[in-house]
Amino acid sequence: MSTSADASDVSKSGGRLRLTGADGFLRAFDVETRRRNGASHLAQVVLRLGPGFDAEAFRAVLADAARANPILCAPIRRTLGVGTPAYRLDAARADGWPAFTLHSGVQSAAPGRGPIPPLFFERLNEVRSARRGELLRVDAVSRGGDQPGTDLAFTWLHMLFDGSGSERFVQFLEARRRGAAPAVPAADRPETPPEVALPRGARERGAMAMTWQRGMQELGRLRVRSLAGPARDVQQALVYDVHSFAAEESAGILSRAASLAGFLTPMLFYVAAAVRAHDAVLRARGSVPESYVVPLPVDLRPKGGEGGVFRTRVSMIWLQVRADRVHDLALLLADLKEVRRRAIREHQVENGVAAMDYALRAPARLYAHMTRRALRGELCSFFFGWTASFCDGVDEFFGAPLLDGFHAPSVPPSPGSGVVFSLCGTHLNVTHVRQQGVLSEAELALFRAALVRALTGGA
Amino acid sequence: MQEWTRDRLAELIHRILRDDLLQVSDAFTPASNLIEAGLDSLAVTQLMLSIEESTGVWLDESLLTPENLASSETLAACVHEHVGGR
Repeated sequence: MSTSADASDVSKSGGRLRLTGADGFLRAFDVETRRRNGASHLAQVVLRLGPGFDAEAFRAVLADAARANPILCAPIRRTLGVGTPAYRLDAARADGWPAFTLHSGVQSAAPGRGPIPPLFFERLNEVRSARRGELLRVDAVSRGGDQPGTDLAFTWLHMLFDGSGSERFVQFLEARRRGAAPAVPAADRPETPPEVALPRGARERGAMAMTWQRGMQELGRLRVRSLAGPARDVQQALVYDVHSFAAEESAGILSRAASLAGFLTPMLFYVAAAVRAHDAVLRARGSVPESYVVPLPVDLRPKGGEGGVFRTRVSMIWLQVRADRVHDLALLLADLKEVRRRAIREHQVENGVAAMDYALRAPARLYAHMTRRALRGELCSFFFGWTASFCDGVDEFFGAPLLDGFHAPSVPPSPGSGVVFSLCGTHLNVTHVRQQGVLSEAELALFRAALVRALTGGA
Repeated sequence: MQEWTRDRLAELIHRILRDDLLQVSDAFTPASNLIEAGLDSLAVTQLMLSIEESTGVWLDESLLTPENLASSETLAACVHEHVGGR
């Protein structure tokens, strides 16, 4: 993979910033989810803070960040309704977006940090207009009980940031509060070259995209089944829960992940654990598929350099494993390693960038449609994410200690289930995002037990 | 067939990392720590593929320990054992 200082992503007028290919791909999801399921394709990152959050300082720094980085509230539009969609920096909103609301009346008197505010689930199920620049909303909910403080949710259209970018944004805001960061992150300046330089020739780029597309279609040779089943036109109703492992238990899981999957690829251990949890439910239902398919996001940011905050800077590789290998963790991990290695060897990462780049020009829903057709209405088995150390270096946010933090990205009604792993300080968090009703209470208990067993190795 | 000495392997690994896979400053040398320089799971797999292209040897992932990835030199020593053992 290489970078080059070729054409800048910002138009000569400086008014339009090109979407990345992955932005375009996610825009396709947004269009599809709004049309079929009445909600936007959003993602959320939650900070659970102790006492001392300075809401007014936060409001000021957020507004300042938006002035310096108009992408935070820029409408996403095609020029005159045609052409490549772009962030219209020259038409950035100046009227309350990005939105910040302090919900001082909402209290939780539950023990500990209490449940996640239901408002956060509502935010994840909203409709936001990319065309009007409604890209980011932040909600602060004050918390009572024996661990008073503030729960803070950043909910954004899943184009403005990717998972890593959202954490970088949190780090950026805190650094701005301390006066320790420039107003525009260095890697987001217009002169910064793209992470992956695609060949200039349209034919070569087309061949790369077609190779990726063929790979996706081949996934359908082994039947796939998600918990929710094939795509349906139903109202999106996302909820999530977070399982936090204690420090000692987390250390054991991390060590198990490193020893079984390799210290550089622990994410494959977490993929395996999530596969086994889904498999447990599907087995109990008597509807085991022939295979599990999981899209694995690959961060394209330069290794060792400063990575960008805004826009989606990922490619994707598709992991597929046979269901009859799931019962044996060693076999499952060996298969996952081999599939991942083959994908990288076959340049799936670069081909994915080329294919997603086409999503900017082609009818946006085409790719999702083609995938679902290849997989008989399914998109994949479930969504997966692993973001390692959560907001590394942020112990305190606007005067309040960071007690906990996690991701909660949307998952459409099909596949209806997504699992995200991240480390906050010394403990491992697992967020399970799902459509309400996709699992019965008994199935949810089975899912959780299977997940914990897969992670800890317990009986 | 080219003979792969430890020094030549270290030079090859260093060059691939510096020119293709990592964004590093001039202070990056064959003795620099690879993890600290930003080597991650994607970059290490791409590195292994490049090494395989040049030497014909695929290094089993179980050998990619923190000790072997301490620097281009330590990784070269590990690869050299396997090039030599072919």
